[in-house]
Amino acid sequence: MKLKVCGMKYQDNMEQVAALQPDYLGFIFYEKSPRHFDTKIPELPDTIKKTGVFVNEDLNTVIENINKFNLQAVQLHGEESPFYCNMLGTTKLLETPVEIIKVFSVKDGFNFEVLKEYESVCDYYLFDTKGKLPGGNGYTFDWSLLNNYPSTKPFFLSGGIGLDQVTDIKKFKESNASKYCYALDVNSKFEIAPGLKNVAILREFQNKLGNNTMEENYNVDEKGYYGEFGGAFIPEMLYPNVEELRQNYLKVMAEPDFQKEFDQLLKDYVGRPSPLYFAKRLSEKYNTKIYLKREDLNHTGAHKINNTIGQILMAKRLGKKRIIAETGAGQHGVATATVCALMGLECIVYMGEIDIARQAPNVARMKMLGAKVVPALSGSRTLKDATNEAIRDWINNPVNTHYIIGSAIGPHPYPDMVTRFQSVISEEIKWQLKEHEGRENPDYVAACIGGGSNAAGTYYHYLHEKDVKIIAVEAAGLGVDSGESAATSVLGKEGIIHGCKTLLMQTNDGQITEPYSISAGLDYPGVGPMHAHLAKTERAEFLSITDDEAMKAGLELCELEGIIPAIESSHALAIFKQKQFKPDDVVVMSLSGRGDKDLQNYIDYFKI
Amino acid sequence: MNRINQKLQENKKLLSIYFTAGYPNIDDTVKIIQDLEKNGVDLIEIGLPFSDPLADGPTIQDSSTKALKNGMTTEVLFNQLKDIRKSVNIPLIIMGYFNPMFQYGVEAFCKKCQEIGIDGLIIPDLPVDVFHEEYQAIFEKYGLINVFLITPQTSDERIRFIDSISNGFIYMVSSASTTGAKSGFGDEQTHYFERINNLNLKNPQIVGFGISNNETFTAATKYAKGAIIGSAFVKHVTNEGIGTIDGFVNNILNG
Repeated sequence: MKLKVCGMKYQDNMEQVAALQPDYLGFIFYEKSPRHFDTKIPELPDTIKKTGVFVNEDLNTVIENINKFNLQAVQLHGEESPFYCNMLGTTKLLETPVEIIKVFSVKDGFNFEVLKEYESVCDYYLFDTKGKLPGGNGYTFDWSLLNNYPSTKPFFLSGGIGLDQVTDIKKFKESNASKYCYALDVNSKFEIAPGLKNVAILREFQNKLGNNTMEENYNVDEKGYYGEFGGAFIPEMLYPNVEELRQNYLKVMAEPDFQKEFDQLLKDYVGRPSPLYFAKRLSEKYNTKIYLKREDLNHTGAHKINNTIGQILMAKRLGKKRIIAETGAGQHGVATATVCALMGLECIVYMGEIDIARQAPNVARMKMLGAKVVPALSGSRTLKDATNEAIRDWINNPVNTHYIIGSAIGPHPYPDMVTRFQSVISEEIKWQLKEHEGRENPDYVAACIGGGSNAAGTYYHYLHEKDVKIIAVEAAGLGVDSGESAATSVLGKEGIIHGCKTLLMQTNDGQITEPYSISAGLDYPGVGPMHAHLAKTERAEFLSITDDEAMKAGLELCELEGIIPAIESSHALAIFKQKQFKPDDVVVMSLSGRGDKDLQNYIDYFKI
Repeated sequence: MNRINQKLQENKKLLSIYFTAGYPNIDDTVKIIQDLEKNGVDLIEIGLPFSDPLADGPTIQDSSTKALKNGMTTEVLFNQLKDIRKSVNIPLIIMGYFNPMFQYGVEAFCKKCQEIGIDGLIIPDLPVDVFHEEYQAIFEKYGLINVFLITPQTSDERIRFIDSISNGFIYMVSSASTTGAKSGFGDEQTHYFERINNLNLKNPQIVGFGISNNETFTAATKYAKGAIIGSAFVKHVTNEGIGTIDGFVNNILNG
C-alpha cells in the first residue's frame, strides 16, 4: 500500500518527511485549516507526488496553484460536483495533467451510490471520517463498511490513522474490504504541532507496516529509464506508434473496465491465481523451504499469456485491428495466437527460419489457432531476427497494427508495460505466502532470465522490500567462457538493441552477437533494462547455469515432485546445487513454464 | 562552411546516393565514392554496416551482412577513408546505427569524422530528443551536421522541433516503410510533399525511400531540394558490380 502524508506546512519538515520516501505529500490550500499551506515547496524527489488539497475552491484558483506549485495530484475535499472534476480533468489550462482524488466522508453509514457519478471523472476516491471540519478530524471510521464497496476504483483510506492503528491496518489489509485500497493517508496523528510532522514516529509507522521502501528506485522513471538503462532508441518511422502507446498505456491500464476485463480473463481463461506450491521433497533434499509459483499451470503452459491478455486488451482499446509478434521457441507466439483467436483479431507471428524447423509443434499450434507464421530469413534466422522483422512490419503498418512484444524488452513503454502485466505473479505470491507462512515476504525470490518477463513479474512487488533478496538466473550454455553462452550480465556490455539501452552481447565493434543456450527461451543477446539496472546496482544476484546443470535439475524436479518443467525454469531450479540456503530460508521460485514443449530435448539429452 | 551547406546552396536538384561500405567487396569503398563524384552525384551516404538494421529492408540488410562478413568494421572504414579528401570534394555523410558509434565512443567517432573530412551523420535510431540532450554539443564541436528523418506520420509540431535542431537538411522518408519496400509515389505522397512544402521549414528537404529511377527522382524533387537513392543502387552493384556506376547515375539524372 502507498503512503500519503498530508498537511505539510514547513519547508524543513517537508524535506525531512520526503527523505522517508512517501508516495504522496499533501498541501492544504484551505485557509480555515490550521495546516493551511502558505509557503514554498522545496525541491522533492520525482517519486513523491505533490498533492494539493482544496475545499470548494474556485476552479481557476485550483488550476493556478497546480501550475504554480507543479502539483501532480489534487484532493477535492468539499462538495465538488462530477462536472467540476471533469473540468479539472480535461482543461487545457494545466501544464501537465493531475491525478484527481475525490474525498467522501464516512460515518456510521455511507451510501456508495453517490460514487457512480464520479466513476469516470476522477482517478481515486478517498474515504475520510465525517466530522465538524472538512478533513483532519483525527479519528477513524468503521472500515468494515468498505466490504460493501461497489467499485473497482482504487481508494485512499484516511481519517485518524496513527501508530495505534497498525494492528487494525494489518487486519484490514488481509480482509476483503481492502481489495481496492491503494494508499493510506495520514496526518494529525503524526504531529508535534499542526502541520509539523514527527519524522521518527512516521518512520516507526512505515517499519511496522513493512512499508520500508528502499532508497534506490528500481521502477521505470518518467523518461522511460531504469537508472541508465532503457529509453526509446527507435527510428523516426516508429515514433508515432510508440508514442501513442506511451501516452495511453497507464491511462488504459487504470481504467476500471480494463482492470475488470483483465482480471476476469486471468481468472476464467488463464486459470489464475496459479498455485504457490510448497515443494516438500525438494525442500528436504536441499534443507531449505522452497515454494514454486506454478506459472506452468496457466493456459498455454507458461507465464507468457499474462502479458498477451493484457496487450490484446490494450490493442483493442487503441482501435488496432492487426496483431504482430515475434517468437523464439514459439511460446510467446502461441500465447499471442491464442489471445488473437479469443478476440477475433488478425495475427502474424515472425519466427526465425531455424526456429521454425526446431519447434514444429508450436508452429502447428499457432497455425491451428489461426495465426500466420512468417519465417525470418535475414541475419542468423533466430529470435533476434524475428524481432527485427516484427519491428519492420510495424514500420510498414503504423496505423492499424499493434506489436505485442513478449518480453520485458524493447523501447519504453514496453518493458514497463510487460512488467506490469506480469506483476500479477508477485501480487499473488504475497497473499499466497501469507497463507502458507504468515508473512508476505520470502527471504528470496528467484527466476530465470532471457529477456526477463517472468522474472520482472516475480520481482515486481518485492523490488523495494529490503528484506527480500532477488536472484536472477541466466543461461550459461556450454559455460560462460565457452563462447557458446547467453549469460548477458557477465558477457554483455552497455549497448542498444531493439530500441533500448541495456546490457548486450556484442563484438568490440558494436555488432550484436548470437547467444547460445539449450533453452530457446533464454538465448536472447540482451536482457530487459530493468534487469540490467538490477545487475548494475547489485540489487539482484545474478547466477549462471549451464545446459548440463539445468537438464539435471529439470529431471530432479520430475523425480522429486512429479512436475516436468520447461528447460528455462530448470535453469532456476539448478541454483540449489550452486548456492547454499539456510534451513529456515523461504525461497520462492517462479516455475515459468511446463516441459511438454521440451520433451524432444529431454529425450535426446537423457536418451530416454 | 560545411560542404553540405555549400552544396545545398547550389541552384539545382540534388542527387544523393547511399551505398554500404565494404560491399560487394571490402575494398570497393573508395572507388565507389570516386566514381559517384565523377558522374555528377551531389552527396554520398556511406553506410556503416550493422548486424541488426531495423529501418532497412532486405536489400540493404543483406549487403550489410555481406559487408560484415567481408570484414568491415568502424576502424576498417576509417582507415579506408583516411586519405579520401585527397581525391574527392563531394559532401560525405556516414549513415549507420547508433550502437557501433556508441561502442566506438560518440566523441571519438565524431573526432575521427572531422579528421577524415566527413561532413555529416545520419543515425536512424538515435532519437532527436536524446541527440539534443546528450550529443548535440559534441557534433557541433567537430563541425558535423546531423540529419534527422521525418515520415508522413510525423506531426507538424514534431517536424518544427526537428527543423529547429537541424542545420543541414531534413531527410524526408516518402512513406511508412523500411528501405526498398515500395517504389513510386501515389496521392498520399503528393499530399505529404505538399504539406511539408507549406510548412516553410528553414532546412531544405531531401526525399528518400521509394526512389529508383528518373521518373521517381523527378517526382520526388518537384517539391524537395533533392532525393536519395539507396536500395536501387545497392541492387545495381549486386547485379552489375561497380564497373557501370556511370550508366546508373546517368539513367537517374537523364532518364
